[in-house]
Amino acid sequence: MRRSLDPRGWPVALKVPLAVAALMVLVGVVLSERVLSRLDDTQERHLRELTQSYLDGLSSAVAPSILRDDVWEVFDAIERAQQLNKSLRPVEAIVAGADNHVIAASDPRARPVGTRVPAAIAAATGRETFRFDSGADRAYALRVLSYPGRKVGTIYASFDTRHLAVERRDVLTALVLTNGVLTLLLAAAGWLLVARMMRPIRILSDHLGNAREAHVAPIAPEIVAASHGEFGRLFQAYNALVHSTAERQELSKRLAEEERLGSLGRLASALAHEINNPLGGLFNALATVKSHGHIESVRVGSVGLLERGLVGIRDVVRTTLALYRTDGSRRDLMATDIEDLGLLIAPEARRRGISLTIFNTLEGSVPLPSTPMRQAVLNLLLNAVAASPEGATVVLSATVAGRQLLVEVRDRGPGLPREAAALLTGAAGARPLTEGAGLGLWMTHRLLSDLGATIRVDSAEDAGTCVSVSIPFTRDEELANVA
Amino acid sequence: MSRETFFGLNRRAFATTLVTLATSIVAYPHTSKANPADIRFGLTPVFLTSDLELLDRLQTYLSLATGAPINLITRRTYQEIIALLISRQIDAAWICGYPYVMHATELQLVAVPQWRGEPLYQSYLIVDADRRADRLADLKGDVHAFSDPDSNSGFLVTRAALAEAHTRPETFFGRTFFTYGHRNVIRAVASGLAASGSVDGYVYDVVAEMEPELTARTRILRRSEWLGFPPIAAPRAALDKEYLARLSAALLNMSEDADGRAILAMLRLDGFVREDAALFDTIAAKAAIVATEG
Repeated sequence: MRRSLDPRGWPVALKVPLAVAALMVLVGVVLSERVLSRLDDTQERHLRELTQSYLDGLSSAVAPSILRDDVWEVFDAIERAQQLNKSLRPVEAIVAGADNHVIAASDPRARPVGTRVPAAIAAATGRETFRFDSGADRAYALRVLSYPGRKVGTIYASFDTRHLAVERRDVLTALVLTNGVLTLLLAAAGWLLVARMMRPIRILSDHLGNAREAHVAPIAPEIVAASHGEFGRLFQAYNALVHSTAERQELSKRLAEEERLGSLGRLASALAHEINNPLGGLFNALATVKSHGHIESVRVGSVGLLERGLVGIRDVVRTTLALYRTDGSRRDLMATDIEDLGLLIAPEARRRGISLTIFNTLEGSVPLPSTPMRQAVLNLLLNAVAASPEGATVVLSATVAGRQLLVEVRDRGPGLPREAAALLTGAAGARPLTEGAGLGLWMTHRLLSDLGATIRVDSAEDAGTCVSVSIPFTRDEELANVA
Repeated sequence: MSRETFFGLNRRAFATTLVTLATSIVAYPHTSKANPADIRFGLTPVFLTSDLELLDRLQTYLSLATGAPINLITRRTYQEIIALLISRQIDAAWICGYPYVMHATELQLVAVPQWRGEPLYQSYLIVDADRRADRLADLKGDVHAFSDPDSNSGFLVTRAALAEAHTRPETFFGRTFFTYGHRNVIRAVASGLAASGSVDGYVYDVVAEMEPELTARTRILRRSEWLGFPPIAAPRAALDKEYLARLSAALLNMSEDADGRAILAMLRLDGFVREDAALFDTIAAKAAIVATEG
């Protein structure tokens, strides 16, 4: 609510029309003020001129009669002046003598002959001889009549200016209406124009918003083709960016595959070593059976040896098969999978003189896909083994707590670099593939993220690194219920 | 030509006739008779001199009836016309009974108009239509409008009435002024410029008929007795006897002629008749009262 009240948060499509309207109102006010002031000036000047000519005529007609104190002639002159100047709309005219007593007035009943001119009328024009307030209903004029140097009388006149007030009001109404309509039209035009201009921006922001959430999609070619100018170039640049990002992702995938193959190669060599080691013994046992097979004890001992060696080889081969099975079949994680990991990492650990401890408290199956789990944990173990100094111990623990599988890999290495830890936990800004390093960690992160895992890395001085992975799961029966 | 004669006219008629009138008046200076073939006939605001069409028709009729060009001469005041008349600068003039009796020795009667069957008229004392007053005495302190100081109905009658009450207009009324036209008196009272006025009853009745909205705002407070109608007079020693006889005949026979009847209809008069100077004795009596009272 508060954000919607803050104008800074308003959309441009609203701000621009509002700004246009505000400016138009400002322009309207200024223009109206100018027009009205000009109108006032014109009205006053016009009225003043007419009034002066009226007073000129009247004073030349009454001046001799004033000197003769000829009431009738003065009255007649006033009546004629009122008739002749109808366009001026005279309301009242009073001709007073030098003593300011009425000689004759246009309305003798209101201003009887011989009475004193009321002070209000004498003061109506103020210090000036003419007074017209714009918008007022009356204008007042005064003319002092003097015969060489001597004041002989005064003419007080007032005029109906309501038509001028009406004209002024009409002009004001017209101005307000015109400006109002113009403001609305321009605001609407501004809204349309801005909405139209902002459309490419919206397309771009929609695409960028999607890119954050899901797959980055390029802007449709027909939209790009329809856009010209800076937006066309912007769209092209965006599409180029999308393209290069897609390429990077593709490359990352390929590199990950290569890495997988690389680690597979390492494992394969370890596996070959594992198979090769007992092979010498087995061939020896075979030769012993060949040459001394007739001796019962020797034969039994050699066959036992052969059997044990072959069982060992079979186990190794089985585990490897289980890890790299590609038939796509989904199998739940079993306690044996963890045991198998121990078996798989053992040759590498032995080669580096590192002992491996496994705490496996899993019982039965855990409803999580075994293949990505095994691969991810194997990667963590490989990392831990690679990071640990000779003679150190790597600890793997796997437990189930409630609806979560907790897997911990602890080593005595120098600690995971910050960037590597960021890669693993998928912290913002983490970039995979810096000089090809960290690929395994990034792969592990992806595999675990797909399973909805939370990864925490704790590093302590001398204490090595502890990678904790917690993965929530739903029991099969629940799934079935849901399904 | 005085201003009040312009006033209240149809302006278009005024504009078209102004030139002819101006030439007829200005081209012949009144100080001398430039063209002996003219009959110079003076008019006072005693009747409706504001009607230029009437003047035009009167001039045309008199020209045709007398066979001589007629020069109608109008002035603002009675005094100016009477001065021309008694100084024998004009052949005849339509004046008022009051100046006639004042200058009876220098003037002769040519004809007297007949109105409603009699050569008589009244003077009216008029007030505002809403004024609560019954008698002349109620008008004390008024602003009072007179027509002309040489007018019987528009001045003398009221003045004589005041003289009988042993007072004078200047002291009885708060203020007086002359409008130099009976119609102007009606306007002054109707507009409220004057609270009361003295006016020719004949003019008032004609105005009431032609401009009822003007007289509607006034009320007749008092009518005088019947007095001799303003006559047409000539210098006792006529400028040109032949012309005067023709003019007299033209006036007396006006009701016999179609054009003449049209003019009389406009004037609301029946015609012109010959009357004795005794018709104006009542006016002379009023003048005498005023003279005695001072």
